[in-house]
Amino acid sequence: MAVSGALDRSPEVPVRRLDLRRLYSANERFVIGGGTLACVLIAWEVVARFGIIDPLFISAPSRVAGAAYTLFAEGEIWPDLKVSATEFLLGYALAAAIGIPLGLATGWYRRLNYLLAPFVDTLNAVPRLTLMPLIVIWFGIGIWSKVVVVFLGAVLPILIAAHAGVTTNEARFIKVARSFGASQLKIFTSIILPGTVPFIFTGLKYGAGRALLGVVVGELYAATAGIGHMIGNAGNTFQTDVMFVGVLMFTAAGLLTVGALNVCERRFETWRPKVGAAA
Amino acid sequence: MTAERLALEGSNGRPLPRLYLAHERAILGVAMVVLFLIFWEGLERGWWADALRPLIGAAAERWVVKPIFISSPTRIAATAYRMFFVTGEIWTDLGWSALAYVAGLALAIAAGVPLGLAAGWYRRFSYAGEPFLAAFNATPQIAFLPLIVVWVGTGLAAKILIIFLLAVLPIAMSAQAAVRTTDARLVNLARSFSAGEWQLFRSIILPSAVPFLLAGLRLAVGRAMIGIVVGEIYGSAAGIGAMINQAGSRFQTDKVFVGVLTIVAAGIALSELVRRIERRVETWRPPL
Repeated sequence: MAVSGALDRSPEVPVRRLDLRRLYSANERFVIGGGTLACVLIAWEVVARFGIIDPLFISAPSRVAGAAYTLFAEGEIWPDLKVSATEFLLGYALAAAIGIPLGLATGWYRRLNYLLAPFVDTLNAVPRLTLMPLIVIWFGIGIWSKVVVVFLGAVLPILIAAHAGVTTNEARFIKVARSFGASQLKIFTSIILPGTVPFIFTGLKYGAGRALLGVVVGELYAATAGIGHMIGNAGNTFQTDVMFVGVLMFTAAGLLTVGALNVCERRFETWRPKVGAAA
Repeated sequence: MTAERLALEGSNGRPLPRLYLAHERAILGVAMVVLFLIFWEGLERGWWADALRPLIGAAAERWVVKPIFISSPTRIAATAYRMFFVTGEIWTDLGWSALAYVAGLALAIAAGVPLGLAAGWYRRFSYAGEPFLAAFNATPQIAFLPLIVVWVGTGLAAKILIIFLLAVLPIAMSAQAAVRTTDARLVNLARSFSAGEWQLFRSIILPSAVPFLLAGLRLAVGRAMIGIVVGEIYGSAAGIGAMINQAGSRFQTDKVFVGVLTIVAAGIALSELVRRIERRVETWRPPL
């Protein structure tokens, strides 16, 4: 009886152990990542709770969550969020609307590129945020100065990516199309444009980061509303929890934008045959 | 015979186009810049208003812009000369900015390279850091600036810290990518000759990581530039950014432009420096 029991059980135990281990090694990445995250949050909370470091300086996860809840529940954050979103979307849309066609044009027309290259190269060599004080003189401290900063930040990466997309197009395709008597327009729409899409998306993703940076700096520097303004104000009044909420809003915005662009890109890329190794 | 004659005629009859074609890029670029500068100067001095007045009357007044808005190339040049060589006021600011820049970037390299290499080498370590990295990378790190000011004030430390925050990520991420993309065959070969971990690291991983590290450095140099500008514009008393900010709030537009152009020059010089280092380091590598 005992023997048979042992025999019955013995194959079971290793299987269960193996399962756990397999579960761990299949999800090791998430287990370790999530575990570390939880540890850091707990350590942060403990340090703040027991006053090892004054919560005035570092706040605490529970305080940040509480502040976020109050801000959203009492609706205090919505006007700021709306202003920031408007600035971001307007500036970014403007940057895409100008950057993509202009980049395609400078890639396609050599002489146009020669004309604009000095300006693009110079502007690209510096953070356009340096122009902030000038932009405030020109456009005031309302939303338009921020729209301009966002635009300036995002337009160059987008333009340069579109330009690079055109100039690195496969020359053989164009030659084949030309030798079959394809018109310039036909070449542009059926070879150049599809080949440029991945580049444009790279530029758009890079530009999105720059655009968010523009919102933050523009609102910190001179604004009357917006999440950046909220962070700055909270800083002046030592409301550390509100500052963290603001920073997290920007994190969320960054993750959301890049996620949305990835989804769009996948939609555009479904026709393309896979290159390289499978999976 | 005919071809020769054609070529001769080409060079004798029309020597200009050939010269033009050979330097088209430079000529068109310079011409555009000169035109732009003349247009700008004319806007401030009212040349265009004077020229247009007979044609469109009072509406021509729109074509003259007050110097506090746009300044002008000659004013900017004069101010730059004064600030650099007469009063020398810009050198102190430049010194403070350079100090913060170098310290922040050095700190980012000192922390970013070992962390990135470790994350590339130890898989579990990189798992542990991943959530933070993803969140941190998606945030415009400048948003931490007010927090940093609460922590360490508005002095040199705040600037060093913000530059560090901006520059450390590209450096660490490229160091990690460098280890990950090391040729596995080389590592296997060295292992089968029983090379130790340290030997493996020093003689295979590190040399093949250099191009990645330098690419990361190039990104970091630009990011650190953002850090210095914004860190100084946002509540600092010394540095080029602070100078720009003060000039801006006093509507001294020419001074603002001098500051901006100084940063442009520094940015171009720094990226050229990194490119030089890249070329220097790459000379031993056999061309592919």
